[in-house]
Order: sequence, then structure tokens, then C-alpha cells
Amino acid sequence: MNDLAPAILAALVIAVMGGALSVFVVLKRLAFIGQGISHAAFGGVGIALVLGVHGATTMGTIGQLSIVVAFSIAAALWIAALSRSHHGRIDTAIGVVLSASMALGFVLFTLAESKHGHDDHGHAAHGSEDQHHLIEDILFGNILSTDWTKAAIAITAAAAILFITWFNHRRFIFWAFDEPVTDAYGLSSKRTTNTFLVLLALAVVMAMQIAGVVLAAAMLVLPGAAALNLTSKLRPVFIYSIVIGVAGAALGMLIGINAGYPAGPTIVLTQSILYLITLIIKTLAPRLRS
Amino acid sequence: MPPAVEIDHVSYTYPATGFDAQAAPAIDQVNFSIAQNTKLGILGPNGGGKSTLIKLILGILQPTKGSVRVFGQSPAQARQQGLIGYLPQRIEADLDWPISVRQVVALGRACRTKPWKKLSADDNTAIDRAIELVDLQSLSNRPIGALSGGQLQRVMIARAIAGNPRLLVLDEPTVGVDIAGQQRFGNLIDTLHKELDLTVILVSHDMRAIAAVADRVACLSRSLHFHDTPDGLTPAVLAQVFAHDVAGVFGDIHIDAHLAESCDDPAHAHQHQHDCGCTDNDNFGGSGGDES
Repeated sequence: MNDLAPAILAALVIAVMGGALSVFVVLKRLAFIGQGISHAAFGGVGIALVLGVHGATTMGTIGQLSIVVAFSIAAALWIAALSRSHHGRIDTAIGVVLSASMALGFVLFTLAESKHGHDDHGHAAHGSEDQHHLIEDILFGNILSTDWTKAAIAITAAAAILFITWFNHRRFIFWAFDEPVTDAYGLSSKRTTNTFLVLLALAVVMAMQIAGVVLAAAMLVLPGAAALNLTSKLRPVFIYSIVIGVAGAALGMLIGINAGYPAGPTIVLTQSILYLITLIIKTLAPRLRS
Repeated sequence: MPPAVEIDHVSYTYPATGFDAQAAPAIDQVNFSIAQNTKLGILGPNGGGKSTLIKLILGILQPTKGSVRVFGQSPAQARQQGLIGYLPQRIEADLDWPISVRQVVALGRACRTKPWKKLSADDNTAIDRAIELVDLQSLSNRPIGALSGGQLQRVMIARAIAGNPRLLVLDEPTVGVDIAGQQRFGNLIDTLHKELDLTVILVSHDMRAIAAVADRVACLSRSLHFHDTPDGLTPAVLAQVFAHDVAGVFGDIHIDAHLAESCDDPAHAHQHQHDCGCTDNDNFGGSGGDES
């Protein structure tokens, strides 16, 4: 169980972060941008592999994460800039960046395999099976492989994201509620958008440790969506969202570890079930009251 | 006492976008000032540059030529100090938000409140006062999505005045509002003007909306055509500004476009401008701008 301690701790802290950010993601309708960023991160992983930076050592882990974070932030800001040049059509911008980054990622994976895939004697160092496992881990996450180095990075990043979100909470609330007027009130819309997208990119990369490229964005959507089914008051939404996010992560880890299911998808599935339960409560509550 | 707003020979051209786009000035050589504590209505056709002028006053756009000063400072400085309150043309806020009327009004002080501090006693007093002035005390804790259109607009006005501004800018606030509603809106703005010593700028293409609020009128159709009291606003000036039949804009008076020809004489137009002692522009030609 001690081997799993860093994984469990990292998952819970990332769940707190996801719960807090997901309220903004849902209310500002940025769920799809989270998907765009997470898929774009795949390109970042490809770059790290081509450069020979991988998570076999502590420095390698930090180096790989740094490259992926930098690439994801660049992708997020690129989405924002493209969206502005397409008259606010963010779906077009996400479509462009997501496709380009995924394509880049797969091409770089192949390049990395041909570049680093043979040892000094010309023998294959990594089989295609290893490569498939690596891609699978990146796509769907492998939280159980989290060691204390990865956990420390995840906890530090999540704490920084939570602090910056709290520090800017009034600005983010105004921006997410009524962005078109924020410039007139002295709050730069562009600066606020970019700040939030940088945080979102960092959060997506952290969530990828749990749920991978494909499911990371779900951890930044489901808790907020579920909380909004339960209340129409601002402060309780944030509290419920964090509670649902953490509950989903804890239950998902518990079920996944005991039943032998992959932890990341099980966490996302548990959060999805919690969302459905809140949806049922929302639907039935008025009938029960009357 | 400096003017509330000084617009000094201001032109603005939106950047051309795309290969086939051509840049045309949205406003051209506009030159006038607005004294403190006046209520100015800016009248003009759609695409005449009214919203562009507002963005220049708010500091969201920077003039291509000329300069804008608000209470003797740059618009950005005035905005940062909370001197400007703004009501947008369309309320684009997300009404599905779990946020109360009071919390929305409090956003009007968001740029002044340190993130690590709770709202101060001064903040709370200003927010309560704003809610009281628009007569929404009984709805203070109601979710924003549960309001009628009129109530929602009053919330947004309360948000605009919660920061204790000295200038209130209203962009087409009465589009789709009937005459009685426009009058009630005019009465509310009159109350705010008196209670808060506000300078008010109201932009509209509707003469009745302007008449319900303003004690000064400026006519804008890319360039400035008139700046004076509403009494001096003749059908001929209106025909020049709107460049076509303006029946429905100016009550029952029916004016045909050809009447505009009588306004082409700059000396005729100058006569109105100098009556109010304002420094107006010297460009009276042109009509029908291409505001994007």
C-alpha cells in the first residue's frame, strides 16, 4: 500500500485542483478547449521523446513534464490567438491546434522510435510492444506508476494553480460571467483569458498523470457540471465541485486498485456516475418538494 | 474644472482583415468636448461610428489620429481609477450563472478590491446604495437568471455605478423598449445624474431615447454634424445625419433625403455648433460610416 501512497496523494490533490477549476471551465464553456489542450500535449510528449528526454530518472521526469507543459501552454495561447483571429470561433481554433498537435505527436513518436529505438550495437532497444504501452499510458494515464518525484511535482503544481486561481478569483468570475464588458471595467479580457488558459494547460498536464490525454479534460469538467446540478449559489458551487472531484478520485482509486481496473478511467467513470446522480437529484428535487 | 471628456480631432480606422478587406475610417476628425455634469445624447445611424466613439472614450480602442482625455487623463487611467461606468448595448452575460443580483453589482468594484481582502464597509455601502438607486433591494439575493429584461438592465446599471464613477456611458440602452419604458429609463438616469453628480453619455440611433435623457445632443455619422441643445436639432440636420427619410426617428415629422442637400453648407451647420460654445469639428461632410 505504501507503494501506492504517492499515487493516491497525487490523485486527491489533482482532484481538488480539478474541482476548483472545473466550475470556471463549465461556466465559461471551455470544456472543449480542455480537450484541445490535452490532445495538444501529445505533441509535447512526442517532442520530449525525440529529444531523448523521458521519465526514467528524476531529471528526466522533470524535463519531460517541462517540455509537455511548455508545449501545452503554447497550444493554449495559440488556440486563444487563433480564436481572436477567427472572430471568436474557438471551435475552429481548437480543431486546428488539436489536429495539428496530435498529428505532430504521432509523427514524432515514429521519429523517436527510429532515432532512439536501437542501441549502440544496432539491436532494437525498445520493442513495438513497449512503444504501444507508452502510447497507451499517455493516452489513458497510469497513475499507479506515480513515484514520489511525480507526486511532489503534481502537488506543487496543483497548489500553485489553486493559489493563482484564488488570487484572481474576482477577475475570473467577472470574466467568465460577462467577458464582453471587462475591458470597459479596467480588467483586460485578453490578459485574463491568457492567464486562465495557462493555468488550464498546466492543470490538464497534471490531470494527464491520472487520466491520460483522452480523459484528462473530463476531470476538469465533471465535478463542476455535477455541482451546478445541486445549487444555484456561487460559493457552494465551488465547495460541492471540490467535494465531488475528491470523492470521485478516492472512490475511483479504491475500486480500480481492488478490482484491477485501470485507475484513471475508473476515476473518470466514477465522477461520471456522480454527475448522473446529481442530475437525477436535480430532476427529482422539484417533484419531491411539491 | 476640466471637461469630463475632450475629443480632440479624433479619427479611427479599423484594421483591414482578410485579403479583400478595405480599411475605411469609422469616425473621421471628430472634435468636441463634454462639460462635467451634462447629459449628452450621441445620435446617429447604425454604422455611423457611435460604438467606436464609445470604445475610444472607454480606452478600449486607441485613436488613429487625435486624442481623447477623460477628466484630464487618458481613458485607461480614468478607467483604472473607476471614474467610468459602462452599460453595454446588449447584455451578453451568461444568465445561467449561479450568481445573485448583489454579487453581480459587486463585480462593478472588482477592479478596486484586492483579491486577498473581503469587501470592505465602503464597498458594501456603495453596492447597497447602487442597488437602492435602481430600486432592486427586494431582489438583491435573487439569482440573476430569475429576472425580467427590465430588472436585468437595472442590475447592470447598478453594476455600472457601484464603483462610484463620475462618467456613465450608456450604449443604446433602450433598443426595443416602448415609449413609456424609455421615459421611465430617462427618469432613472435623471435621478442618478442628480444623486451622484454624474456626467452621462447616451448613444442611440433613436431620437426619442435621446430626448428622454439628454440635455445636449451630438449627431455623429462618421464625422460630427451637430453639437448643441436638442432644441437646435432641426429636421434638416437629422436628414443630413441619417442621409435618408428619417420619419419615425423624429416623431411625426417626415423628412426626405433630398432635404439633406440644404445642410451641405458648412456655414449653416457651424451656426448650431457655436451656439453652445462648444469646440466642434470643422468637417461637416460625409455620412453613413463603415463601422465594423
